[in-house]
Amino acid sequence: MLLRYIARRLAQLAPVLFLISIIVFSILHALPGDPVQLMLAGAESGSVTPERQAELRQMMGLDDPLYVQYFRFIGGAVTGDLGTSVRLRQPVSTLILDRLGSTLLLSLGGILVAVLLGLATGIVAALRQGSWVDTASMVLANIGVSVPLFWLGLVLILVFSFELGWFPPAGQQGLRSLVLPSLTLGLVSAGVISRLTRSSLAQVLVEDYMRTARAKGLPEHLIYIRHALRNALVPVLTIVGLQFGAMLSGAVVTETVFSRPGLGRLVVQAILWQDYPLVQGIVLFMATSYVFVNLVVDVSYAWLDPRIRDGERAA
Amino acid sequence: MSTLAPRLERSVFVTPSFVIGLGVLAAWALVALAASYAAPYDPFATVSGARAAPSLDFPFGTDRLGRDVLSRVIFGARISLLLGFISVGIGVSVGATLGIVSGYYRGSIDTLIMRAIDAMLAFPGMLLALVIIAALGPSITHVMIAVGIATVPRYARLIRATVLSIREQAFVDAARLSGASDAKIMLRHILPNAVAPLLVLSTLQFGNAISVGAGLSFLGLGAQPPTAEWGLMAAVGRDVLGRAWWISTFPGLAIFTAVMACNLLGDSLSKSLDPRQSDR
Repeated sequence: MLLRYIARRLAQLAPVLFLISIIVFSILHALPGDPVQLMLAGAESGSVTPERQAELRQMMGLDDPLYVQYFRFIGGAVTGDLGTSVRLRQPVSTLILDRLGSTLLLSLGGILVAVLLGLATGIVAALRQGSWVDTASMVLANIGVSVPLFWLGLVLILVFSFELGWFPPAGQQGLRSLVLPSLTLGLVSAGVISRLTRSSLAQVLVEDYMRTARAKGLPEHLIYIRHALRNALVPVLTIVGLQFGAMLSGAVVTETVFSRPGLGRLVVQAILWQDYPLVQGIVLFMATSYVFVNLVVDVSYAWLDPRIRDGERAA
Repeated sequence: MSTLAPRLERSVFVTPSFVIGLGVLAAWALVALAASYAAPYDPFATVSGARAAPSLDFPFGTDRLGRDVLSRVIFGARISLLLGFISVGIGVSVGATLGIVSGYYRGSIDTLIMRAIDAMLAFPGMLLALVIIAALGPSITHVMIAVGIATVPRYARLIRATVLSIREQAFVDAARLSGASDAKIMLRHILPNAVAPLLVLSTLQFGNAISVGAGLSFLGLGAQPPTAEWGLMAAVGRDVLGRAWWISTFPGLAIFTAVMACNLLGDSLSKSLDPRQSDR
């Protein structure tokens, strides 16, 4: 029963989300910075009396015991209120929504590059095992998982912006500016997907049902599409979900390289500003979306492969 | 330990990826150890005009303060390798302890540890390391700690799985019957069986730590100027990429070769230690 499977997964979600919020909250409350001092950093020294500071601290609830602060934080979070950024003096949720579009677009671009490139090279490599295409895509996949993201971005800028002038090196005006960041973000995952596609397809190709399909006289391309790919791509799907996490995390670096004002860039700035409500809000948001995307992937995986939803999945 | 040696002998030493991986890593280790002798110049001294292009005198060029990029890359090897060792050390010691306790005692302590591990795994990529740095403040030492903690879940899961697979075997019962303490059983009888998978994971994580650590420094969250650190050097060179490509390119190449070496070595180790997994 697919519905029962979904219900079970949703029920498992609540404790994980609770623990995530606990982890983020407890790590960040060891933060050395004092948000009140920080807020007053712009004011002339001495112009703000200790009484006023105490008043501010009380207003922000920093004098309350930690568990009271936590429940206030989590109570707000479930209603979409993530507090106020100390530095930018705007609601954290507004700031996240403002930057979300840019990061989503970038992640979609990255996933597109990863899936297209990864599947194409993986499939060709599996069908022509031992050929130069196979070797080349294996080498490329190895390079892909080893190259530091920020450096890949810099090299792409160097070649395609400064040398060839094809794409802008920074900013986010139009689709052209999305090409290099998407390539940067997608190449690593493309390597992972390519390797998995190759090994998964190589296993399927020697299955009995492939011989049966051939024996009953199906044309080669139908054998590959209907029998081989359909079965080989199911495990690839789960890794695509995990790669979405790589996209969120990679966006932090990629957005800095290409000066794109997205969530990733913002969280780095928030850390440098010691703006802990902002760090807390963005991290919680990213981790939660990652958990939900993986839930969606798991559910579609179960939908494609009935063996999973019926048996208890070893996770 | 005795279980590891005969299996290692099989084929591992002849594969090209093993030889290249180990060779490159050994070369970097040598460079790091002998940095003071290998570097042609003082990595912090202005030795030429700003942004001199690569030449015979300065094979990797100089940066915006006229410092020799080659010498800085050489000294940078120290930081990156140290980063690898420390974060892998944290990951192995904390992760293995949690994993072995979890798998050996099972029950509620297992549930507790594994729930926490699951929650840690719910943070994508370097996000957990990012939160820890947010709390500790930007510095290269904090990066080492943060990257180490962020990898704890992988070790814990790996060790727990290994423990679960062998805790019911006869030699564990025999040890228990002969009066060995729990601690002794875990250390003497169970842990040695986890050495092979631990070695593979640690090799891969060593490269991963170098890459993530350099990335965090690139973002300004790790090493601070004037430290000769690969990620930071690449970040400083980013602003003048069009005029002086060498400032970012060579440190990046250094990271790439070190990480690639770890991946090649880790993959070839995992293939020869676990023949079932010959593909991937």
